[in-house]
Amino acid sequence: MINVEEREGSAEPSPERPFLSIENLFVSFNTEDGVVRAIDGVSLSLERGRTLAVVGESGSGKSVTAQAIMGLVRSMGGHVSGEIWLDGQELNGLQPEEVQALRGSEMAMIFQDPMSSLHPFYRVGDQIVEAILAHRKIGKAAARKETLEMLKHVGIPAAERRIDAYPHQLSGGMRQRVMIGMALINSPQLLIADEPTTALDVTVQAQILELISTLKEEFGTTVILITHDLGIVADVADDVAVMYGGRLVEVGQTSTIYEAPEMPYTLGLLSSIPRMDRELPKRLDPIRGNPPSPINLPPGCVFQPRCNYSDRVANGACLSVRPELLPTAPGHLVRCHLPAEERQQISADVRRILAGAQR
Amino acid sequence: MAGYIVRRTLGMVVLLVLLTLAVFVLFSLMPADPARLTCGKACSPQIIENNRHRLELDIPPVEQYQRFVSGIFFGRTYLADTKRPLECEAPCLGYSFLRNQEVLDLITKAAPVTFWLAIGGFVTWMTVGLVFGIVAALKRGRWQDRTVMGIALVGYSLPSFFIGLVLYFFVILFLHLLPNPQWKAGMPFKDLGGFVQTMLLPWITIATLNAAFYMRLTRNQVLEVFGEDYVRTARAKGLKERTVVVKHALRAGLTPIVTAAGLDLAYLLGGAIITENIFNLPGLGSLAIGSVIASDLPLISGITLIAATLIIVANLVVDLLYAVVDPRVRVG
Amino acid sequence: MPRSNAWLRRALVFGTTFALVLAACGGSTTPSPTTTVTQGPGDTPAPTEEVDHSGGTIYMLTAAEEFDDIDPQRAYTGEDLAFFGATIMRSLTSFIYDPDAGVANTLQGDLATDTGTASPDATSWSFTLRDGLTWEDGSELTCEDVKYGVSRTFANDVIVNGPTYAVQYLDIPSNPITDENDPKSGFLSAYYGPYDGTGQADFDKAVSCDGKTITFKLNQPVADFNYTVTLGFSPVPDPTGHPDLEDTVEQYTLRPWSNGPYKIDEYTQGNGGHLILVRNDAWDPASDPIRKAYPDVWQVDFGIDAKVMDQRLIASEGDDAFAIQYGSIQPENLSTIFTDPETPNADFAGRATSDFDPFARYYWIDTNKVSNEKHRQAMAVALDRDAIRANLGGDYAGALGDGVIKPNLGDQYAETGMWTDLFGQAVPDTGDPEFAKQLIADSGEPMPALTWDYPQTAVRDQEAAILVASFGLAGITVTPNPIPPGQYYGIVFDDEAAHEFGWAGWGPDWPNASTVIGPLFTDKGGWNLSRVHDEDFVQGVQDALAELNHAAQAKMWQDLNKLAMERVYVIPTTFGLSQTFGGTKVQPLYQWAPYGSWPYAEMYVTP
Repeated sequence: MINVEEREGSAEPSPERPFLSIENLFVSFNTEDGVVRAIDGVSLSLERGRTLAVVGESGSGKSVTAQAIMGLVRSMGGHVSGEIWLDGQELNGLQPEEVQALRGSEMAMIFQDPMSSLHPFYRVGDQIVEAILAHRKIGKAAARKETLEMLKHVGIPAAERRIDAYPHQLSGGMRQRVMIGMALINSPQLLIADEPTTALDVTVQAQILELISTLKEEFGTTVILITHDLGIVADVADDVAVMYGGRLVEVGQTSTIYEAPEMPYTLGLLSSIPRMDRELPKRLDPIRGNPPSPINLPPGCVFQPRCNYSDRVANGACLSVRPELLPTAPGHLVRCHLPAEERQQISADVRRILAGAQR
Repeated sequence: MAGYIVRRTLGMVVLLVLLTLAVFVLFSLMPADPARLTCGKACSPQIIENNRHRLELDIPPVEQYQRFVSGIFFGRTYLADTKRPLECEAPCLGYSFLRNQEVLDLITKAAPVTFWLAIGGFVTWMTVGLVFGIVAALKRGRWQDRTVMGIALVGYSLPSFFIGLVLYFFVILFLHLLPNPQWKAGMPFKDLGGFVQTMLLPWITIATLNAAFYMRLTRNQVLEVFGEDYVRTARAKGLKERTVVVKHALRAGLTPIVTAAGLDLAYLLGGAIITENIFNLPGLGSLAIGSVIASDLPLISGITLIAATLIIVANLVVDLLYAVVDPRVRVG
Repeated sequence: MPRSNAWLRRALVFGTTFALVLAACGGSTTPSPTTTVTQGPGDTPAPTEEVDHSGGTIYMLTAAEEFDDIDPQRAYTGEDLAFFGATIMRSLTSFIYDPDAGVANTLQGDLATDTGTASPDATSWSFTLRDGLTWEDGSELTCEDVKYGVSRTFANDVIVNGPTYAVQYLDIPSNPITDENDPKSGFLSAYYGPYDGTGQADFDKAVSCDGKTITFKLNQPVADFNYTVTLGFSPVPDPTGHPDLEDTVEQYTLRPWSNGPYKIDEYTQGNGGHLILVRNDAWDPASDPIRKAYPDVWQVDFGIDAKVMDQRLIASEGDDAFAIQYGSIQPENLSTIFTDPETPNADFAGRATSDFDPFARYYWIDTNKVSNEKHRQAMAVALDRDAIRANLGGDYAGALGDGVIKPNLGDQYAETGMWTDLFGQAVPDTGDPEFAKQLIADSGEPMPALTWDYPQTAVRDQEAAILVASFGLAGITVTPNPIPPGQYYGIVFDDEAAHEFGWAGWGPDWPNASTVIGPLFTDKGGWNLSRVHDEDFVQGVQDALAELNHAAQAKMWQDLNKLAMERVYVIPTTFGLSQTFGGTKVQPLYQWAPYGSWPYAEMYVTP
């Protein structure tokens, strides 16, 4: 069950924290063009063993959130404030060496492009062995044996041979299996999968998602799945957090997000799910325009410039006032100026059109 | 791999043949007549003819080329129809009538100078370039970075004749820190102290421009590789920062630098004309420029052959080395 | 004397700017007394008898990469002749060492006891060798050795680039083989030299030894043959008498046997190379009244960067105090070293000289291509000579020329009046476009289109621009044709490739205008870029060569010089000056007139 607190309320420390708790997270980068506020006050938490999908377009801050948890933002030159609690330990205040010790053991991550994420000069087996030896004092032979087991486990055929292959000698799906194996080799509590299927063929995508789900059950891992594609979320995730412009805009259980989304952006994402069996009706323009520049966010609602419904809000509040992330139902939070009834009406209309198009 | 080497070697031989052939053809197209140039004052058409015969310019370029090639393998005889013939034993790269010596002897004498000059300069610039480039990349945006990049900009904009002359005037003539450079046969084994005293400033002269270039290159390369996904993966695995930098980032980032440097070294081995002249070093560079200006065909051909071979071989070695380091370019 | 292309090579490699490097030839000359020899006060070159100057090493710094030729029959540049003549290569006669040009140009006996004896008609000359002459192995230097040396000139298949006066003057038939397909047709004479041996009898008739006396029989009267023997007549050990002293290509191109006070210890050519001369113990000072042989060692350092060289000598620290410059001061350093072109600054008094070099600079005009004399006169009149001199460096570069004979040739020189009245009216230094237009109008023909050939340097690109501009004022169109310097003479001697006129420079072989007028304006002389074939002129040269009365002969050269200017075979531009200097501990430092060189034979180091 996801538990989201508002910024203002996050100051109170709770004695019993959930497995993962992000409180009031801000991430910014200094660039030549100005300060990029990649994450602008994100708070969320996740219970052990569940899967959270973080959904949003490029630049929405979903990947940066993941990297902030992993403690990788600083090495990229970013500035992080706020608290990240993992299994009772605050990460943001730790020394770099302490976070480093947790990376790959307590929490692990797999990335979008398995080709570029594996080092081209080293054999895949050696790269996994390296991950083992970084955290555990076991012999090389034992580590290699374990690696071989893992490669078999993640479904790599002829693993005995592939263990000595270089990344470029493997297919994309195979490489991602290697990445998954490498991520899970030290049995981490938390696995973050950052767009794990985006770079893969459609047929392979399902296999990889299936693999992640299976392994999650098997290892009891908590998973954060980061994706821009709401379509792959349904079968995998328990909860969904939609991000836009460095903020959460809608949070809820997967079923809620699919069946009763209220934020117009979430509706747009739903409409964008490509499906073989339907064509989009012309009057439904999923999300027009482009994501906002993280350097120069619009005043008021960040989504306003692309929102089809902002003219329905009185006094032009969408243009001037930042909306807050407020509960609309238990466990369902929405950041929108539209009155709840209006949002639900719009949501119903859109879903009816989508369903109609389906027929 | 073996097939690849054989293919490349064959290509190399073809290239060398074409290159030396081109030298002969270009030389024969030259407007000035070397036979006239060597004729001096008391000149007559008869003497020009004699010179042409002596210089073997009275035979077609193709045949001159044949003699050149066969000389390499079997040796050749100059002035065969006179009472004082000149024997040039295989491998004969020709005989320079302007220098009155065999081309191979001239090159063999000049090569060690250029070799040590190039090696010393290379080590200097690579050390400075890599160390400072890496420091600048690791301290990106901070004062260390700005200082290094400032120095690189200055070094990059100074022409080597200027650096060489300034070093000579300041260090040798003004401060008397070093004696006038003087290359002696047998260096560096015979007189290591004198060798270092002679070569120090030339090394710095040669290294300055390249060091500046490699500082920038290294910095950019390292920064680029730090943004690579596999470096992020290495961090995500929980590797120590030093392991991430050295084993993952630098290994990949510096490989193209080191191989590019190999080629730069090869070019340098063909002679560093300006530095050699300022510091009075009897290397291949001054030999080459002298041969071109004097229209000394045998010497031009010999040096072209040697320099081209060096560069082509270096190219091959660099490519093979690259294949060893980076499995992606290995050929089945 | 020609500067071979080795000199061209140096000029380019080292960016030396002195114009004389690209001049076709160099040579001996007689600086006029009016020319300042910049000597410091009290700097008397003649050493006092009480002081022993012996010992030490004199260093010679040069941008050149080698000597052009050391072989006695091939050495032909003033620099080579002066240095080797003073150290390892004696000749039958040579010149006196003295800062005064008039004295220095005087001939004296060297290997010979005196300056030779001519037959009354000057077609036969005899020289008698001194006692005690030796080679470096201690064996006696004989008359046969002198004869053998001369004979090598005829082997022009292997002894190349040297002076060929022996072939030109000795009474030996010309080569009977004229069929070009016969390789033997390449020989210049019926005698093919000592290696082939054909025609030996002819040679033996022309050159004969009687004890210590050698006699040369000539094919024409040569009044100054005793000067001629300073060029290419030096001895080489006759293999018959000296089986151990080999005459091989390697030996004689790199290490000829010495008969002077020094011998070659080491010779490595090229950048960073050296020539090191050490004492020749077999040399007997009693046999040699000319060479003082003070230093123990001469060391020539090749390939010194010209800018570095100047700075080393200016600093004059350590061994550089014993160093002399073999070349010219860089233009940018002239104002450091000199107050004006005649006076060194106080710091350089006694060690810097500024004097006429041997060269006259001129533009040759192909008289076939520009056959109308008025046209050539118009070209001469139109030229802004003042701007050209200024472009070369003004006062430091030299004086404006009025012919091809330079004032430092002494009695051979007389003003030609070229710029005062030779064309009927005075011509200003800056040129007279109106007068030039008048001359073109008088010619009755339109001026042909002109192209100016020149060996390209930055300075000469400027010169071309001046030329184009000043000719343009007179309505004459000129296209400059820059040629890579190393190829220049190869192109302009080709009748097809050469254009209407071009750049050149010339210096005499010995202090007689016979080595100027003859070479420049007759085919036989070999440097006839003007393609002069006027019969009266050629006959005039023949007559002058045969004139035994020195004063009368000098007058004939003066007249021929004037006639050549009147017909404008060439346009004289400048009589060049050159500046050079040495370290603080080497003396005496003056330009020795015969070769425009240092006075090597009497130089020494001071403590």
